[in-house]
Amino acid sequence: MSGSVGGGGEKAEPNLTPILDMVFQLITFFMLVINFKSASMDLDLKLPVLGSAQPVETKGRDLLILNITEDGTLKILGQEFRDKAIESQLHTQAVASREVAKKENRDMKDDDDLPSLVVIRADKSTPFVLLNRVIRGCQENGYRNFALKAKNKPEE
Amino acid sequence: MSHRRKKKRHMSDVELNLAAMLDMAFQLLCFFILTFKPAPVEGDIILKLPPPMPTTMQPGAKPLGGDESDTSPVIALETLTISVLSTPSGSIKAIMVGDAEVPGALAGLDFKLKKVLGESNAGFKQVLIQVDSRLHYDSLMQIIGVCNVQKIDGERLSKLSFVELPMGAVN
Repeated sequence: MSGSVGGGGEKAEPNLTPILDMVFQLITFFMLVINFKSASMDLDLKLPVLGSAQPVETKGRDLLILNITEDGTLKILGQEFRDKAIESQLHTQAVASREVAKKENRDMKDDDDLPSLVVIRADKSTPFVLLNRVIRGCQENGYRNFALKAKNKPEE
Repeated sequence: MSHRRKKKRHMSDVELNLAAMLDMAFQLLCFFILTFKPAPVEGDIILKLPPPMPTTMQPGAKPLGGDESDTSPVIALETLTISVLSTPSGSIKAIMVGDAEVPGALAGLDFKLKKVLGESNAGFKQVLIQVDSRLHYDSLMQIIGVCNVQKIDGERLSKLSFVELPMGAVN
């Protein structure tokens, strides 16, 4: 009966230090696992399933991530491009990729193939005619290395 | 003396109010939990896709159909051509290697490619995939998946070229 009931009891002061420690640990965890790369990926796309597709280490490589929707819209870092805007955007990206490549390799000429890796994330229902428009646009601008994205197991 | 003692006691009684800090930490935690979206596990098929080159014959090769006893026309070509025809809904209707239709869909293609590429004098310089413009990306990936596990000169077949077949080009 001697607790805080009534006016004369001691003031209860829970020790908040352990809970604060735990909360900070959780915050640290979430900060570490936050994935900035996903900003360039359109997670609404339904990728095809292919068992032989394995994750490949692309650390340090210059990447151009292209998201292609079912209707052929090209999405780069959340920006959407359609029809003729696709070609001009790919050209702009190629100019930027060439600048990056020239910084790494000063001997690189303007008509050399680009060392950048084009990552294609297309919806599984995208017709080839729309997909090929983007691939051809990349090829015309000097890209030769491609990574086609697929899931290696179906979603549950 | 008493004054000094009093000062000492005050220093030992310093207590931080952690409640405000905890509030802020919880808010940060809520933000991270709500915005947390784990990156999906995605696989890659790494390809080198040069633009398609005109198909040519190997120097000294017999013209196609010149030798009736030769039933393997692809040997005379530098280009291995795979044609994929589509149904109106975008799935695979038929697969052809060279001019011959491959029975048994993907398994048949795998068998045929192993046979053709395994021949010592195959000598293909490029693998050209002619794709029906209606074919969906998931069906195309099945074809690429089969091609990608094949080997030419001990290396994985990763150099492909795509050509678009106009709609209704082959019936």
